[in-house]
Amino acid sequence: MSDPDVSAPDSRAAAPPDAALPEPHIVRSARPRLSLVWLVPLLALAIGASLVVRSILQTGPRIEIEFHTAEGLEAGKTEVRYKEVVIGRVQAVTLRDDRQHVIAEVQLDRAAAGVAVDDTSFWVVRPRVGVGGISGIGTLLSGAYIGVDAGVSSEARSRFTGLEVAPYVLRGEPGSVFILRAADLGSLDVGSPIYYRRTRVGRVVGYTLDAPHDELSVKIFIEAPYTTLVTPQTRFWNASGVDLSIDANGLSVNTQTVASVLAGGIAFEQPADSPRGAAAAGGTGFTLFADRKTAMAPPRGPALPVRLVFDGSLRGLAPGAPIDFQGVEIGSVRSAALHHDAEHRRYPVQVLADLYPLRLATLRSGSPTAQAKDSDQALLQRLVDSGLRAQLRSGNLLTGQLYVAMDFYPKAPPQKLKLQGGVLTLPTVPGTLSELQSQVAEIVAKLSRLPFDDIGRALTDTLRQADSTMKDLTPEARQTLGALQRTLGSTDAAITTLAPEAQARLGELRRVMAGAQTAIERLDGSLLNDNAPLQRDLAQTLAEVQRAAQSLRVLTDLLQRHPESLLRGNPADPALPERGRAP
Amino acid sequence: MTVGAPATSAPAAPRWLGCECCGLVSALPADGALRHCPRCQHVLHWRKPQSLQRTWAYLVAASVLYVPANVLPIMRTTQAFRDRPHTLMGGIAELWHDGAWGLALIVFIASIAVPLMKIGALALLAWSAQHAPQWRRLERARVFGLIEAVGHWSMLDVYVVVLLAAMVRFGALASAQAGPGLLAFAAVVVLTMLAAHSFDPRLIWQAPAPRDP
Repeated sequence: MSDPDVSAPDSRAAAPPDAALPEPHIVRSARPRLSLVWLVPLLALAIGASLVVRSILQTGPRIEIEFHTAEGLEAGKTEVRYKEVVIGRVQAVTLRDDRQHVIAEVQLDRAAAGVAVDDTSFWVVRPRVGVGGISGIGTLLSGAYIGVDAGVSSEARSRFTGLEVAPYVLRGEPGSVFILRAADLGSLDVGSPIYYRRTRVGRVVGYTLDAPHDELSVKIFIEAPYTTLVTPQTRFWNASGVDLSIDANGLSVNTQTVASVLAGGIAFEQPADSPRGAAAAGGTGFTLFADRKTAMAPPRGPALPVRLVFDGSLRGLAPGAPIDFQGVEIGSVRSAALHHDAEHRRYPVQVLADLYPLRLATLRSGSPTAQAKDSDQALLQRLVDSGLRAQLRSGNLLTGQLYVAMDFYPKAPPQKLKLQGGVLTLPTVPGTLSELQSQVAEIVAKLSRLPFDDIGRALTDTLRQADSTMKDLTPEARQTLGALQRTLGSTDAAITTLAPEAQARLGELRRVMAGAQTAIERLDGSLLNDNAPLQRDLAQTLAEVQRAAQSLRVLTDLLQRHPESLLRGNPADPALPERGRAP
Repeated sequence: MTVGAPATSAPAAPRWLGCECCGLVSALPADGALRHCPRCQHVLHWRKPQSLQRTWAYLVAASVLYVPANVLPIMRTTQAFRDRPHTLMGGIAELWHDGAWGLALIVFIASIAVPLMKIGALALLAWSAQHAPQWRRLERARVFGLIEAVGHWSMLDVYVVVLLAAMVRFGALASAQAGPGLLAFAAVVVLTMLAAHSFDPRLIWQAPAPRDP
């Protein structure tokens, strides 16, 4: 193809020359003149390059997170947020090859590249409604997102396994985690509140049931300013539900907040008598008690298993029944089982019980902290030597509940503690009820030994003999009775004849008596009446005598003071003080 | 590319110039002064100055910016606490998934295909003006007319995004912001228009065609 003339419009040198004239040399410019317009693509290139470089700089690592389900995850939409700041986005959601899990591919921002380290955890935040509260409300509108708890490791990682539930303690959240060993979980759940003086100071962050060791441990988190409230002496108890108790003060209902009644919760407190120690270190283990009463009871310490062998029936003795030592609960019954006593050919019941020697610590002669098993045994032996015996007693007459009472029976035959298979056997005495039973049985046995048949037979013979005797005596008795009847009849007749005479005598007597009465009345009138002359004379005479006695007393006084007056007469009266001098 | 004119098979010297604006034909003087149309005062060119060079430059710039225009988000919407960037292709894919195939097709043609075709066609025109001047001249001229006509329709996307950003303002519930991709996209459209404008269609007809009359 021929090279066409594509000259620029200003190439006016191309005017046709005359044929006669020589043609000028046309020199092609060695390099074409560059227009300034080329700055435009250069600028575009610069802008494009800067955008590309910036986006490369902004793009962080790409990580993969495994989840059980992709619920709520959308490729290109679901965000990854750390402290509610978007640090990445899900690019793709795929099934893992074995179809057990889904894999979310996440493009992290450059600024958040440090998040992709070994101990970072990811989880999907979805709206969650529980009794304890509602979380993730924002996700109702915005859709689920992936939450991040950034790790502190320096080891980078690109594959993660997502958590199914959000961790309840975020890294760096101020506070401490404690472990509570619990017998059962009650209505606790992850997120249940922890109360101190009914103020919420923390929450349950997890629980694990260690199946091989049959242990339930509850992990709790106490928020930062309150961690100092937890000391080694602190007691935790399950504050769920309502604590209803009847005591000497009447019925009392004790609850924590309504929320804890519904949703469960844990409360803790420091026993008033224990010294206030330093704050417990994070991760310290505590016991979770069932209620406040047991929590605040004096510490029981480790249990010492003991064996009690009772002869009588144990009906009414339930596992958990207390062992009471003079009103102080020092243990509880664990189980009861039949036992064969080959020596005595009996089948006593063997009760296994837990004794808490710490409750007996004050009885220890040595230091109360010595808790070796030997010293426990020595202590118990000492108590047994002084007559300590176990006895079954009735705790409740209505329900027939039994409990084990430890008490002193100084007259009991001395016994030694037996250690059998690591379990001490404490001596027992029969219970009050069974004692009574045996006494009654003894009496009954004695009664049954009486010869009731012989007695009855002898009695019958006696009665028969008496009967025959009576029969022999009957004719004589009849004669005697006839004679007696006749005697009575003659007596009656005699009395009848005597009656008019007696009546006359009685009339006479009545008249005499009337005469005597009038005589006495007359005498009474003359003698005893106030107006009787005899009476008046007597009174006058007595007055005279009284006056004579008075003057006699005056005379004796005068003579006593002035014996000379008997010879000289009355002394002169002293002169009276003058009236004008008187004040 | 050659700017100088080889003297070999040069056509007869132009003596007349047509005005690109009003169409008046005026005589070409021999001096090299800048000429204006005596009727409409429009600048008269024998050929547009540095036409091919400019065209190429704009085309290069447009194709460079075409990459960020498609990769970067052209719009960022915030809808109920969720922030979402949208790229051109992503938006088209969403429309397609939602069943709005017609709309997706329209947006695809207007925003992706047309700029790309414009760049390609202009590059072909510029190349052929230099290296294949006699190849399908009539079709090339028609293609150029089409490019001129269709060019500014590509700005539709820019208008839509700017309107959305201005009108959708509901605080935290919903809002829309223009993204950096939009700037690049607008630049691509503007640059292709400039490239089309820089290209002188007379270059198509410059070489004498043996079969042409």
